[in-house]
Amino acid sequence: MKTLAELKELRDKVQREMKKRDQGTRAEIIVGMGTCGIAAGAREILKSVLAEVEKRELDVRITQTGCIGMCEKEPLIDVKLPGKERVTYGNLTTADIPKIISEHVVNGNVVTDLVIAKH
Amino acid sequence: MKDSIYRSHVLVCTGTGCVSSGSKTIKDTMEEELASHDLTGEIKIVETGCHGFCEKGPIMIIYPEGVFYCEVKADDVAEIVEEHLLKGRTVERLLFKEPLTEEQIPSYKDIDFYKKQHRIVLTNCGKIDPEDIDEYIALGGYEAIGKVLTEMDSQTVVDEIKESGLRGRGGGGFPTGLKWQFAKNSDGDKKYVVCNADEGDPGAEVCWKVILIV
Repeated sequence: MKTLAELKELRDKVQREMKKRDQGTRAEIIVGMGTCGIAAGAREILKSVLAEVEKRELDVRITQTGCIGMCEKEPLIDVKLPGKERVTYGNLTTADIPKIISEHVVNGNVVTDLVIAKH
Repeated sequence: MKDSIYRSHVLVCTGTGCVSSGSKTIKDTMEEELASHDLTGEIKIVETGCHGFCEKGPIMIIYPEGVFYCEVKADDVAEIVEEHLLKGRTVERLLFKEPLTEEQIPSYKDIDFYKKQHRIVLTNCGKIDPEDIDEYIALGGYEAIGKVLTEMDSQTVVDEIKESGLRGRGGGGFPTGLKWQFAKNSDGDKKYVVCNADEGDPGAEVCWKVILIV
């Protein structure tokens, strides 16, 4: 390494990775990973959420939650943008994930036809 | 460094206190459990320095939630992986309990012991892997020396340090800027910086500790 610019480049690259440990406010995607969710394919949903977030280099917190009592609507995910209401999407397939992320997480428009609850 | 991102970071304290209460075994067990659940590529294990709460060790912190588990045993690891990392349910029995209120506190930053601390030199302690230089750089490491070497002349640097009021931590509290000025003014083209990182009192080893954990 020879220049300050190189140092800053490396800093920014690693910073993106270390943001996982930052407790600041940001968009959150919560995947239902109760037994019901797992049985309905939540693991694949989680993987496509990860892949999509990574592809778009988004600063999003991805967490899981247990059964929320709507097992028949699994797999489901919640999207919570800072300062906005939490939106639950249900009966998902992996094909729905890019749409939810691009429309809702990036552009802030709720994908109404997949929504099952807002709270 | 891995190209893709991890969705979760598991920080296992490997400070001296936690190592003696078994954190190395916990880390190894965690690696095995992650592998058996096919989670190795999604979850990163990070060894950190001492969090300063050794009596509650071994300590484990899981991000992005910032959940603080204490007195973790190797037998608890399978449950943490299954419940927390796979299903997203906090393992409540391993949370810290405030001694006065008996309240269970899930998050690192909400624990009374940490809440009242304002860390300056130790601000990165427990947050970074002290053996990974990239993590230090991510938090601004080497930027000051980079700036000094490329953008400032020596007198500006000495003035800046004088201005900062920085002092030695020994009994004399000698102003660092003044010390640097004497070094600059003394004869000779080559100057050497000797860093003993010991701190005078026998066994105190304050600087050594700082170097070790941050």
